[in-house]
Amino acid sequence: MEFEPVIGLEIHVELKTKSKMFSAAPVAYGKEPNTLCAPLDMAFPGTLPTVNKEGVVYAIRVSNALHMSIDNELHFDRKNYFYSDLPKGFQITQQRRPIGSEGYLEIEIDGKVKRIGIERLHIEEDTCKQLHFPAFTLLNYNRAGVPLVEIVSKPELRSGEEAMKYVEKIRSIVVFSGVSDGKMEEGSLRVDTNVSIRPKGSDVFGTKVEVKNINSINYVQKAIDFEIARQAKIIEEGGKVVQETRRFDDKKNETVPMRLKTDAVDYKYYPETNITPIKLSDEFIENAIKSCPELAESKKKRYIEEHGLNDYDASLLVSEKEVSDYYDEATKHSKAYKLLANWINVDVASYLNKNIMSISDFPMSPEKLAGLVKLVESNEVNSNQAREIFAKMLEEGVDAKKAKEILGISSQISDLSFIQDAVNKVLEENPQAIIDYKEGKGRALGFLVGQIMKKTQGKINPKITSDLLLEELKKR
Amino acid sequence: MYEGKSILELHELLISKKVTPLDLAKDAIELAKKDNCNAFEYIMEKEAIEIASTLGEVEVGNPLWGIPFVIKDNMSTKDVPTTGSSNILNGYIPVYDAAVVERLKNAKAVPIGKATLDELAMGGTGTSGHLGITHNPWDKSHSRLVGGSSCGSAAATAAGIVPFSLASDTGDSTRKPASYAGLVGFKPTWSRISRYGLFPFAPSLDTIGVFTRNVSDAAIVTEVLSGRDDRDSTSSTKDVDHYFNKIKEKCSKRRIAVVKEVVEAVKDKDVRDAFDKTLDGLKSKGFVINEVSMSVELLSSLFPTYFVLSCAEATSNNANMDGIKFGPLSNGSTFEEVVTEARTKGFSELIKRRFVIGSFALMKENQKELFVRAQKNRRRIVEAVNNILKDNDFVYLPAAPSIAPKFTDASDRLSDEYLIADNHLVLGNFAGLPSITLPIGFKDGMPFGANLMGRAFEETELFQVSYELEQVTGLANIYAEGGEK
Repeated sequence: MEFEPVIGLEIHVELKTKSKMFSAAPVAYGKEPNTLCAPLDMAFPGTLPTVNKEGVVYAIRVSNALHMSIDNELHFDRKNYFYSDLPKGFQITQQRRPIGSEGYLEIEIDGKVKRIGIERLHIEEDTCKQLHFPAFTLLNYNRAGVPLVEIVSKPELRSGEEAMKYVEKIRSIVVFSGVSDGKMEEGSLRVDTNVSIRPKGSDVFGTKVEVKNINSINYVQKAIDFEIARQAKIIEEGGKVVQETRRFDDKKNETVPMRLKTDAVDYKYYPETNITPIKLSDEFIENAIKSCPELAESKKKRYIEEHGLNDYDASLLVSEKEVSDYYDEATKHSKAYKLLANWINVDVASYLNKNIMSISDFPMSPEKLAGLVKLVESNEVNSNQAREIFAKMLEEGVDAKKAKEILGISSQISDLSFIQDAVNKVLEENPQAIIDYKEGKGRALGFLVGQIMKKTQGKINPKITSDLLLEELKKR
Repeated sequence: MYEGKSILELHELLISKKVTPLDLAKDAIELAKKDNCNAFEYIMEKEAIEIASTLGEVEVGNPLWGIPFVIKDNMSTKDVPTTGSSNILNGYIPVYDAAVVERLKNAKAVPIGKATLDELAMGGTGTSGHLGITHNPWDKSHSRLVGGSSCGSAAATAAGIVPFSLASDTGDSTRKPASYAGLVGFKPTWSRISRYGLFPFAPSLDTIGVFTRNVSDAAIVTEVLSGRDDRDSTSSTKDVDHYFNKIKEKCSKRRIAVVKEVVEAVKDKDVRDAFDKTLDGLKSKGFVINEVSMSVELLSSLFPTYFVLSCAEATSNNANMDGIKFGPLSNGSTFEEVVTEARTKGFSELIKRRFVIGSFALMKENQKELFVRAQKNRRRIVEAVNNILKDNDFVYLPAAPSIAPKFTDASDRLSDEYLIADNHLVLGNFAGLPSITLPIGFKDGMPFGANLMGRAFEETELFQVSYELEQVTGLANIYAEGGEK
């Protein structure tokens, strides 16, 4: 039987606001446990939530990037349940009126664009981080109250690959819009998936299995593909898929059961009365959107249309926000876009790869790289020399001119009259070679270039030289 | 020595240097120690003497300078135990002061103690706190309740220990005990006074409350407590008027509504007669009294509506007490065991009952039938009240159907007397309106009061009309002498 997978994703994104969603405690990752908490984050009686404007701005940016309609009133609700990582015994969230609703995202599958519907985006707060030991559990309240947006897709994804591309796109949006680190390994972007399968052509949903704890983009695809295959096998063998929550085991590369999902928990949602509804003015919403840094898609378009880059180079540049930022900065100092892109995508990338480093730690400033590109652009150095200079710049931390000087590379001569003189002299001295060339002996050209280089000690620009030589040969 | 003196009287004594803040603090602490009504959770002896000792030159024009007061124990006080009169918070020492405590400290008033309450402010009898029953200082036989939930604040103020105290009001927790204890009990417009640091019971209804023994003192304290506080995002940004300075100005608003069905539900003849007498007094002062009507059906729904909404909110607001951060240490080996043990041991049966009812009302299968229906009914009630206030400036009613009941008295919970006469003060909470109770008479040596409710943010007018009513009754600055016996 042929099956059609039905996949929906719930993505939690931690916002990198300065302070928490409802308290004044700072937001930071990797700080000493329990040092970033206000009384509210530990649910001290009598504390009250105040809405973080920055968090709202960030939620609007993401909603807008996902083509969602944005509510012009902020409403919050309480989700009530007891859990050790939940300080207040309820989570403040947006159940009735999410800030963003009914949007979509476009992904590319086999060269075709597919639109994935997004049901809602709502603001909520994170819980404590738990560290489990055999005999006890430690709680870290630093994470309690960190702003989150939850993005809920419609069940319109049909494969692990689509899901992975969807997550990549969401990650790109939240990172480029400056609202999140989007790091799955650090938990600032968390993916929960719902997977079910049904006979192709059927419009009834199969039994849904939730897969949690997927902590890298690659695992999204692996987990889902595994889950699809697992469910298909069960059905083909005449079994029934059990409704449950599973997690992805990255050692085994498979999903393993976590808990049975019986009747869904009743969260007893009701309105948060400590926050009266907040009217969002058109101006506020517009400003939130206007202040959003340029997203990957728009950057890519600009690189192709305005900078003349090809799709491949432009895509590479926007694969990481920091890389595109580096490129943007470099273009302030050099307009040799193709050369810049090439250097960043090839030489810089290979250096980073070799040193297992991200571009934010790359020691050469965009301005210095642009300096090197200028030397190449003006034909002062050839590409082999430029690579030597690049290595020297990294070694010594100097700019391109200084590196060139240290290496003792003298500039190529591009002075046309000087080169013309050399060409003329060599042609006069070698009439036989001219004849050979005219008779179609290919070797003659190489001989003449060699003679010119010899005469000038190889200091002249080879490209200009061969251009001038060919022109001169035509005349004779 | 300074027992029973009002804020203004003490202020005069301070200005004329007949007394110092330290004298007043020590005197109030002495009285508090002798209190036999169970008004105190904790006497802030060390803290009060420390604060009073630092006060230098008297601030003329700041009537709260050096004045001792009492804080209901459901308000956070930095470094001072705060229990909400619940075992689950035994040993809890907050790290911050509630906004109202901060404001009074900034005004150089001197807190001398934390007052008992019905556990976590849930209850109207003053009998359910973890320290037991709080008595009415007017009743020397100690057979009558003082009312709740602000029982300790009411008892301490009625006994003359302090001239004012902080209370809170979710259903009538300030204004009902005020009636039973011969006090002025005031609740402001919802959002007028910051709730930051007030332990939440039902935030959509909760307000800070104030007890004093005369209307002017209530205006003085309210003025200091009111105003925007960024830590309570629901607090209003509206300017605060000069309630006290304007109190003797003749109120420009003079139409008073009396709800016929509520008055009729009061069966006590003495209460009715005294109330009618005040109506005559108000008329003779030029007020227009309009008898208005509210449906008995709607009035009878006040209590059930209140109970569903307040219990639902309460169950969520107290979910933080899970035995991890607050509550008794447990030997439980799982989170479920820890939380179950802490909450089973920490809360009294009455509280648990409310939580169960609240949870039940919020459950998915019941929410529409109970919680949402109660919310809708609340809107109907508010609409009815606002309708009355369209053609009238105030609503004036007996605050309670009788003097403070005996502990042994049983009320018929399905009678109009209970459902309407004993519960109508919640109208002020549903609609978020300012409301004040003041004494209008005595029966069997026990005081009883009446209540005025005004439009939102018309505190100035409410204090003015209350001041005129105080002239009519002549019952300012009464207190239960010898409360220290």
